[in-house]
Amino acid sequence: MHRILLGALQKTGRVIFEYLRRVLDRGFGPELNPMNHLGALTIYFFWIVTVSGIWLFLFFKTSVSGAYQSVEYLTHQQWYLGGVMRSLHRYASDGAIITLALHMIREFSFDRYRGNRWFSWITGIPLLWMVIPLGITGYWLVWDQLGWYVALTSAELLDWLPIFSDSMARNFLSADVLSNRFFTLMAFVHLIGLPLFLVFGIWLHVLRINGPRINPPRALMAGSLAAMTLLSFVYPALSQGEVDMTQVPQSLGLDWYYLLVYPLVKAWSPAWVWGLLFGVSLWLFMAPWLPPQRSKSAAMVDLDNCNGCARCSDDCPFGAITMMERSDGLAYEKEAVVDPSLCLSCGLCVGSCPTATPFRRHTALLPGIDMPDLSAAALRETILKVSQGLSGNHRILVFGCEGQKQTAKLKSRLNDKATATVDIICVAQLPPAFLDFILNRDLADGVVLAGCGGGECLYRFGELWTSLRVERQRDPRLRKRVDTQKIALTWQDPWSGLSDVSSVVAALRKSLPETPAAGHVTDENISLPPVRGTSWKLPLTLTAYALFVIFVGWFSVWPRHQLLKQNQAMVSLSFSHAGHRVGDCRKLSQEELNKLPPNMRKIDDCPRERLPVRIIFRLNGKILYEVSRPPTGLWSDGESNIYQRMVIPAGKQKLFIGMIDSNREQGFDYSFEQELDFLPGQHIVVEFNNTLQSFVLIGGSS
Amino acid sequence: MTLIKWQASFSLGIPSVDHEHRELIGAINTVYDSMINNADPAIIESCLEDIYADVSSHFALEERHMREAGYGEYEAHKEEHEELLDQIRNMMDLFEENPDSGRIILQQELSDWFSVHFSTFDARLHDKLGDHH
Repeated sequence: MHRILLGALQKTGRVIFEYLRRVLDRGFGPELNPMNHLGALTIYFFWIVTVSGIWLFLFFKTSVSGAYQSVEYLTHQQWYLGGVMRSLHRYASDGAIITLALHMIREFSFDRYRGNRWFSWITGIPLLWMVIPLGITGYWLVWDQLGWYVALTSAELLDWLPIFSDSMARNFLSADVLSNRFFTLMAFVHLIGLPLFLVFGIWLHVLRINGPRINPPRALMAGSLAAMTLLSFVYPALSQGEVDMTQVPQSLGLDWYYLLVYPLVKAWSPAWVWGLLFGVSLWLFMAPWLPPQRSKSAAMVDLDNCNGCARCSDDCPFGAITMMERSDGLAYEKEAVVDPSLCLSCGLCVGSCPTATPFRRHTALLPGIDMPDLSAAALRETILKVSQGLSGNHRILVFGCEGQKQTAKLKSRLNDKATATVDIICVAQLPPAFLDFILNRDLADGVVLAGCGGGECLYRFGELWTSLRVERQRDPRLRKRVDTQKIALTWQDPWSGLSDVSSVVAALRKSLPETPAAGHVTDENISLPPVRGTSWKLPLTLTAYALFVIFVGWFSVWPRHQLLKQNQAMVSLSFSHAGHRVGDCRKLSQEELNKLPPNMRKIDDCPRERLPVRIIFRLNGKILYEVSRPPTGLWSDGESNIYQRMVIPAGKQKLFIGMIDSNREQGFDYSFEQELDFLPGQHIVVEFNNTLQSFVLIGGSS
Repeated sequence: MTLIKWQASFSLGIPSVDHEHRELIGAINTVYDSMINNADPAIIESCLEDIYADVSSHFALEERHMREAGYGEYEAHKEEHEELLDQIRNMMDLFEENPDSGRIILQQELSDWFSVHFSTFDARLHDKLGDHH
């Protein structure tokens, strides 16, 4: 069941991503296609955020009154620089969430998160945990009405966790409690703490990858920065009004990229939101093993055929091969060592191994490194067998990647008397010497390498290494004596249509000479897939950038989150009060006192535990809130915290609050009743003053 | 009869490369001998094929050392390697097509092949990298 669901999810993702990628390909081309640089773009956006953040920090004042004013100064007085920096700071953060989410979903959809890739998946999750609070604390620091909302809701969330014994949310209910020091703390978390962890986390995340792409191509960097700068001028990020804790804004523009779950805190409860976050995180953490990937055998080194040339280690996309001190006493310095826990069994190393030549017919074909599941020798056998079944003047062998199951499709579509398809793990598994072997030993007249294109190579470098080897730009180079006119490379969308392969095969067949002439050097022309029309390249690219920034800008404030309806106001109960002790003190007898150490002798023996504090809050006689709050503290001897935010209708309302701190059955120990005329949006805080032993209203104007 | 003899001046001072040079000289001498002695074409073929594999990996290793040492004439030397590998493949196909005439042509080419590379390219590399014995 889970497997079917997983399959369906991945399939849906692939269809969407394939579509997106193909559309973007027309504008950007495969090299610049943003879909192939999502991770790098996320890191790049983080750098934009860092640079713009430094500028903001220069002018930011970490105090209750200074924070808002300093951001307003940047936004309005210094709009041309500080305002743009502020907008870039926001929009790049939002953009990072988009690319990060796409990056994650893409790796999931294309099944690049299980097996030996678990490490990169798992180390990505904490990055999410760091990025989201980074954004949240950022909105907090601005200390506008959104900042207030973020502070209150965050505090309500955190208060649910059994970390603080005092209520944190209370700090954000009335202005005189909030201290400047709190802003210093927030600034520390936002400016130093989280970013530092994030940089470390990114390093860890790409640790296991050979040659990770940390930076997107320059054109993409320039393009996205330009687009976001334009957005910053056209639609600058603004604050949402100064905080007045006696007034609740009717609605706020929420940045849904970071604050998606915040409305749920009020709509559900902090517990459910934590449950949701925890559940999602748990699933993300366990995903690589739900279910695990079918295990494949790792590459194996045959020391007798390895002289330590290190080509495999250079070509391994996953850093699974390291060159170590020679262990077998032969006169070589190094040997290749495969770490099976890093190896993804792609076979790119075999394609790079100089000893993987099929011209070893009388001695065993044992390359220095080989794939147990599909050895070079077995591959040669298959080629020999398949080629025997071919007839005609234009026999063509097609090599397709098995990883994507595309060869099954290819076979049914292409195989005929003169065409045969051979499965290999990845086209880059095929050493170039095999092409020489096939074409010059007359096993076929043409070869098509049908790999997974457009950055969808399951093994990152399959397309690149194959092209470079055939173009004789990377070792092992294709021999010059091999006629490249007889070779066609085609890069296909692995998960969908493969119709291009048929046309590539047909085109190659057409271009082959009537009577095949063997083994002479010709020019360097290599058949590459047909270039797509370029006339609407630019408009498409511009549209893509425009859509991206509109998307970024839109969800950074829209749709607005409604806090109160037109005719509503808010009451908050917020105070601490200690209940009575559970029992009376008892006088100890002399005998009992004697048993105690002299320094601990006390006449009274008082129980430490306190009673819960019970509260009833009524509006016009109707109970709106009723609770029994237990005492805090490890020994249940602390004060009870009462905190509740309630939306009420505006207009004349009769408030009643009663509190019981003893074990009385009837009546209240303290109560308070008053009729108030609530203005729409008015916010009144009901506190209990423990010195005066009475309830007080804050923010009331009656 | 021996086609090529190992000479101390061949040494590059890199044990692995020198070791492979020695082995290659041995293999080339063997195939040369079997050609002179009219051995079974299949044996000669297999010797040539093994030489091709060995030379391929030998060049890979030598190139590695050259790159690591920052050898200035790397590109030229690398081109020479590629050329030599093409030549071996040509010899293999030549022999495969016609063992009798191939045998005669090969005897000449084989000695040229190795000695030219050694006397020119590896000698220069030797000046750069080698311990002068």
